[in-house]
Amino acid sequence: MLKLSGPIEPLTPPKDGAGALFTITTDPSLPVAIRNRFALLADGPVDRTGYAAQLVRSTGPGVWPRDSRLYRLPEHFAYLASGDIVFLDSARGFLHTLFRKHSPHNSILLTEQCNHYCLMCSQPPKTPDDSHLLRRAFDLVSLIPSDTVRIGFTGGEPTLYGQGLIDLVRHMKAQLPHTSLDILTNGRRFKDREFAKTFAEVAHHDCLLGIPIYSDDPVRHDYVVQAEGAFDETVQGILNLKRFGQKVEIRVVLHKQTIDRLVKTCEFLARNLLFVDHVALMGLEITGFTRANLELVWIDPYDYKDVLSEAVAVLNSYRMNASVYNHQLCVVNRDVERNYRRSISDWKNEYLESCAPCARKNECGGFFSSSKMYKHSQHITPFPG
Amino acid sequence: MKAEITFDAAVFSLDAVKAACYRLLDRFSPEIELDGGKVVCHLSFDESVSPAAAELLTSNLRKEVLDQDLRLRLKVETEPVRNLILAHAFSKTGLIADE
Amino acid sequence: MSEFHSIDSYRPRSSQYQLLPFRFTELDDKRFVATNLAGEFLVLPKEVVPQVIRHELPTNDPWYVELRARHFLTDDSTSIARDLLAIKLRTRYERLAEFTSLHIFVVTLRCEHSCQYCQVSRQSDNKREFDMSWDDAERALDLALRSPSPAMKIEFQGGEPLLNGDLIRQIVLEAERRRGPKQLEFVIATNLALINSEFLAFCSAHDIHISTSLDGPRDLHNRNRPRPGHDSYERTIQGIKAVRTALGRNRVSALMTTTEASLGRVKEIIDEYLAQEFSGIFLRPISPYGFAIRTKSYLKYNTDRWVDFYKEGLEYIIDLNRQGLPFREFYASTILTKMLTSRDPGYVDLTSPAGIGIGAVVYNYNGYVYASDESRMLAEMGDEKFRLGHVQEHSYEDIFLSPKLLEPLQDSFAYSSPMCHDCAFEPFCGSDPVLHWALYKDYVGRKPESEFCRRNMAIFRYLIGRMESDLFVRKLFLGWANRC
Repeated sequence: MLKLSGPIEPLTPPKDGAGALFTITTDPSLPVAIRNRFALLADGPVDRTGYAAQLVRSTGPGVWPRDSRLYRLPEHFAYLASGDIVFLDSARGFLHTLFRKHSPHNSILLTEQCNHYCLMCSQPPKTPDDSHLLRRAFDLVSLIPSDTVRIGFTGGEPTLYGQGLIDLVRHMKAQLPHTSLDILTNGRRFKDREFAKTFAEVAHHDCLLGIPIYSDDPVRHDYVVQAEGAFDETVQGILNLKRFGQKVEIRVVLHKQTIDRLVKTCEFLARNLLFVDHVALMGLEITGFTRANLELVWIDPYDYKDVLSEAVAVLNSYRMNASVYNHQLCVVNRDVERNYRRSISDWKNEYLESCAPCARKNECGGFFSSSKMYKHSQHITPFPG
Repeated sequence: MKAEITFDAAVFSLDAVKAACYRLLDRFSPEIELDGGKVVCHLSFDESVSPAAAELLTSNLRKEVLDQDLRLRLKVETEPVRNLILAHAFSKTGLIADE
Repeated sequence: MSEFHSIDSYRPRSSQYQLLPFRFTELDDKRFVATNLAGEFLVLPKEVVPQVIRHELPTNDPWYVELRARHFLTDDSTSIARDLLAIKLRTRYERLAEFTSLHIFVVTLRCEHSCQYCQVSRQSDNKREFDMSWDDAERALDLALRSPSPAMKIEFQGGEPLLNGDLIRQIVLEAERRRGPKQLEFVIATNLALINSEFLAFCSAHDIHISTSLDGPRDLHNRNRPRPGHDSYERTIQGIKAVRTALGRNRVSALMTTTEASLGRVKEIIDEYLAQEFSGIFLRPISPYGFAIRTKSYLKYNTDRWVDFYKEGLEYIIDLNRQGLPFREFYASTILTKMLTSRDPGYVDLTSPAGIGIGAVVYNYNGYVYASDESRMLAEMGDEKFRLGHVQEHSYEDIFLSPKLLEPLQDSFAYSSPMCHDCAFEPFCGSDPVLHWALYKDYVGRKPESEFCRRNMAIFRYLIGRMESDLFVRKLFLGWANRC
């Protein structure tokens, strides 16, 4: 599992100043005029001036540059490559990887604040003001290369920024006119018609809002997200978004508290929200609150595979676009394979030792590192060759 | 053959009794009258109907009156919200003027 | 980390709940079918209904949770049901605004068959005064193109329409010339006895679909549909093959008509459709018009026998699907679309408000305009009740605002009809003022005595009962509902 943030060892006296964003480069001969936008990644110190920082793998022989800040990178940052974008917090000696050029999907965390408290939240909410993340996002979007296919905005709850989020989306549209945008949100802010309208007026060329609905039963949905009145506002938000022509994906996380009514939930989606663009049925990630609530939410996916089949069949019958994410191929029935996506995002997925001989390993998404470590199905079985 | 069945007018509305009789019109011809505090139904069955069948139909009528009573109650209670929903449903289609 | 609250914290604070509009009708001895305002159904044990209506159902009862989720009641934990019901209701009625989409041109009454159930009088070959004139056809096309419907179907009927093939060509060409942004579909309802390659070429060039009659295996078909030469079946089969070769596999469909002779042979009829590579069959009841009433053939069997015929056919089709042979029953499919989705299947014979005029209209060979196909059949029997006007004498407004159309539409509106008003199946059903007028001389009839009601309720109960008891059937029916 990739670690995206961590301390780095300053080798030169730290200078004051707020942190800043830099693009990684391994090229020591960039034109001088632009070097201050880049952090040079190298095995050892390089005698070149002008780079905002040098990040070295070892402190072996080499002439230390006089003007750059020099840092030694811990081993776990070995994945860094040219084109990646980092936030270098020089005051605290921390590096955050915010964008990876070779990742098929980069997400920008906009806030850790949230008005929900989901039983299985993989990014547990924090209350302190972190609007600096929004400002940083603006800067990050300006640096991201224009040939990037897709960017995600996540949180916490991004819509807590209100107009700030809308402004960021407008900025995305202007800076990255060929890049698709996914925004994960509970959708409740959009129950305000004016807000939904203003959002729609940005007219982003390809934006999808990913909104969770965990049950057709309002009480159960509210329980899973731990917020009274959530279901109504989320649905109202979805209706408004659709009224204004926005693309919406419904996300359902499958666990013990949502599985009993899964088929009915899909029927609800088909009868009431048929016009949504996509439905994502997602496996559980064993991080954050999931671990705290494991007893409450854990169910072996193998035990619900028939329910999953029935739910997928309902969505397919109604011609809704549906995908199954974050499951291993050996714990789902064959009849969902048409909808199965080999998805776990690239910095998180792994396989068990017992998966080594599996004939279909390259069709399978594998495991979240957290699942591999803490809890996974008891029925993982390699497919025979 | 004939049968007579009585309903307490304080408990069952005349409308409920009539609606129930209407539903079973293909099985018997009813004559309905109010007698004091009672609704009296005189049922005339076709010759081909056996006493056992008539008995069954009469008991069906009792059940049907109960159901009709429930339906009326449901209808009265939900009439306002029904009108609200209908108005909302058709308000943007131009089926109602001045949209 | 703050505490997580149990699900009890999210349940409604009060045990008081508000009922939303719904109807209930018996499914069997033990269960009711309840339908909400949007026409979505839920099967309930009988004892739950009085409990819920009397406000005695506890909020943690599983049926309570179901009723709330399905929009039969609401409470202080949620208030979105009203909005969702309004949207679903609007979707169900959306198509009404498109108005008349099926325009039937009866290009001739002449026919060389003499089918026993024929709903128009046959005329001999020689009488040219039974063909529609170009002048009338043009006027009829004027009227048809006035319809606001963005997609229209023009269906050529008769008699045998190919006996006036030249007029068909003229109408098709003229319609294509004048259609503007409208999507047009053409269908010819023909017995195929007279089809030739030249006409097929024309059909191919103009994307014309063929609808033919196939009553079952050879002996049954020929018995029902006599023609000189006694070879109706052979010609039909040959015709089907020719159409498929010239136009494509899916460009020909077939309709069967049930007669006394058909009862008891439903599997053979279905097998015939399988053998002729059709993807499904429409198991139709006999209608009481034309020849059928004159020859009293509609009296020969009653609704219950037909319902048995239908159920046997449907069970056979379900079993075919279990074996992996995809095959559909189209009447069930139409009803299932209404039961399981908010879409309108566009079947004009089973809608409320009725499909007369507002769904389909007929321009007869003699220029008279009728509210439906059945209306002109009634006219052939001497009853002009549903004649709306004449293409040469009346304007679009005269015809579509005629009291002869508006009165039966209004009076037969199912929601306002006794018994239909309370019926849980009303969202799936329709009003048929023409049929009821033909049989009972009343637009509505008395539902307890109506064969139409009896037949449809039997089918509704049957379809729902099967879905409740068999997951395979439920999945199969769900597929059918979304295919329409």
